[in-house]
Order: sequence, then structure tokens, then C-alpha cells
Amino acid sequence: MSSTLLKCLNLAKSVRTATLKSFLTAPKPQWQVWSSAAALQTPHAQMHTSPPRLDLMEFFDDKKHWSENEVKVGRAWRTEELRIKSNKELHQLWFILLKERNMLLTMEHECNEQMEIFPSPERIDKVKISMKNLETVVRERNKAYHLLETGETGERPQRPVQNAFGIQVNYKSCEHVLPPFMNLKWIKSRNIGFGGRAVNRFLLKYREQLYNAKRKAKNRSRNEVMMILRRNPNFDLEVLRRKFPDVNIDKLRNDDKTRGHFVPKVDS
Amino acid sequence: MSTRWYPIYQRGNPQLRVFLPNFWMKVIRPKEEQPPNIVTFSVSMEMTKYDVRNYLEKIYKLPVIDVRTRIALGETKRDQTYGYVTKKDDVKIAYVTLPRDQSFIFPEMFAEKAEKQAQEEKSLDESKAGFRKFLDRNKKRPGTPGWFSI
Repeated sequence: MSSTLLKCLNLAKSVRTATLKSFLTAPKPQWQVWSSAAALQTPHAQMHTSPPRLDLMEFFDDKKHWSENEVKVGRAWRTEELRIKSNKELHQLWFILLKERNMLLTMEHECNEQMEIFPSPERIDKVKISMKNLETVVRERNKAYHLLETGETGERPQRPVQNAFGIQVNYKSCEHVLPPFMNLKWIKSRNIGFGGRAVNRFLLKYREQLYNAKRKAKNRSRNEVMMILRRNPNFDLEVLRRKFPDVNIDKLRNDDKTRGHFVPKVDS
Repeated sequence: MSTRWYPIYQRGNPQLRVFLPNFWMKVIRPKEEQPPNIVTFSVSMEMTKYDVRNYLEKIYKLPVIDVRTRIALGETKRDQTYGYVTKKDDVKIAYVTLPRDQSFIFPEMFAEKAEKQAQEEKSLDESKAGFRKFLDRNKKRPGTPGWFSI
């Protein structure tokens, strides 16, 4: 990964000139845009462009926010908003978000160092959510493109393999320098059998744990249903069936434990 | 996505292109005094010197002369009661040299904070005093609104 990084970041250049403020917060609702008269005359009047700050102060917040207790910001970008953006716009937005995250991390670090309260820490979460949403959108497009062109998703290939304990795990393939038949170290590493006594004992206990967890969950839901039926004799059974699909409710209704502490009415 | 897992290095061109890098970098206050043109960064653990250089040059458009990195050992701490040892994560520190004529001094961000806080407290005290005055005045005529006065 050495010199390979960021060859194609010429786009980042256009990011500087792009609308920094308008990108950072998600679009305003319509009534806010219409509220100014200038916006009605020229549709681009709301576009706020800030000159690029070509120095290290990009890693720091605005000076006016330095001693604030709270910094008000918009919400994170949603996937449906990002889906209508072009690839170029998404690429620009990514670098804006990346810079914003760096800035927030720097400020948070310094605040922690100086034993001060970092104002509005949710900003970091918002940027992270935006980045995650952006990545899902790009991934969707990537997948669609690959499916169209090659018939495969283009995702990282995965396959179930057995690990050293004989338990099935999902293995994510990665590139190797050597082909498998030349990779003697790997071939030797595969020769571990998992039939030994210690492994069997481990597996026994491991499976017991899994079984116990399952059993306890089952008992818990059954008890819950019983208590509900005991306290509310006229409870809607359909709701119960929907909520607890694993519990046999018809059997439980006749159970002694579901009967409340009252004399049942007997129709004469 | 393909740029999220690292393919192995292959010689020749074209090299791997990263479209959406998710490395982070933060400027930190240097522990020891540094020359004015050296900036200390804390960077993603996966980043190499070349990555740091490219990141700053391409994304931040900063002129970079030299980059040196080290991995700072995370602090270990022994628990007071039970004696087990906990360790914080290691961090990668990058020292970036800017051209000789440039200088960067880490800003003091909380110099005005105390002053501002005192001002806020003052206004709060004033409003408290005002309310107390209102209560005193209305002691003998409870329930009357603030505007009802001679």
C-alpha cells in the first residue's frame, strides 16, 4: 500500500472550490430555502461557497467555536439523499466528510488533553453515519455495475471452511503471493487434525454452552407466556402466537401454572 | 468494496488507486519541543510514510518535505485492587517536515474559555437576583403577575 495511495485524488482539488458549507449539512427543507427573497430570483443564491483554507488550520474548528459549549449542526446524510447524487458529487462529498472527521478528531483529542469538554460530540457520529451511508450507496452501484458487466457481484468472495477446532467459519478470500500448491507453509498448516481428545472435550463443552443458551431462551419465553396468561386471562392469543412463535400456547393454556388465583367461572 | 481490503503490492504501473480512502489523521500537540516547521500527527495504524505524504499533498495540498513515523506504545496500567494489567492501544505518530520558511504553532484553544464562563455566570447571577427581588416584592400579594405593579 505504499506509494499506491491517492493517485487519483485530482478530484480532491475540485473539492476545495466546491461548496463546503452546503455539503456538510444535509439540504434544508423547502420552507427555509424559500424564506429569503433572493432565493426566489436566483436559484443558486443559497449556494454558499467558502474560500479554501490552504493551511494546517483546516485540521481545527472555526475559531468562534473554540470556547463554545455547544455547536449546532444539521443532521447526517441519508442514503436516499445520496442515491440521487452523481458519482462525482459523492466523491467530492467523501473528501469533505473525511476532512470534517479529521478536524473533529483533532479537536476531540486536544479537548481530552486539556481536560476540557468537547462541544457537541455527536458531530463525529453524524459524519461517520454519513460516510457509512455514502459507502453503502457506492457499494450498491458497484454491485449493480459488476452484475451487469460480469454477472457476479464483485464483492469479496467468501466461503465456509472448518477451523482448527472443526467448527465452520466464514473465510474471506484474499490475494496471496504464492499459488496454493507452492505455498508449503499453508499446506502444512492445513494438516492439523481436529479429532484429538482435548479438542473433543472442548467441543463437547462448547456445544453444551450453545445448547444451554438455546434451552434457557426457550424456557424464558415459555415462562413469560405463562405469566402473561396468568395475569391476563383474556389476552389476545393471536398476538401471543405472533410474538412467541416457538411456544406451544394451546398446550400452555391448559397448564395449571397459567391459571390465576381465582375461582374459575363454571357455566351452568 | 475492493478498495477496503488491501491487495498485495505488484510492481509496475498502473498502481492501485484508492477512491474513497478512510484513513484518518489528527494534529496533536508535540510532547517534546519541535522545530517550528515540524508538525506532529497521529495517524491510522495502517498508514505508511508514503501514505501520509500523499494524504497531505493530495487532499490538504500541503507541501511536505519529509515524513518520519513511529509507533508509540500504549500505556499499561496495573489495576489497584486486583492487580491485572490493562493496556491502551498503540498509536502511530507521524512527524511531518514542512518547508523551512513555514512554521506551525499549535493553537491555544481554551485561553478565552475562563473569561467567557465568568461572563455567563455573571448574567446567570443577575437573573437569579432579579427573580429573588420579584419574589420579595410579591411576598405580601402572592399570585400576582410581574406586570401588576405600581
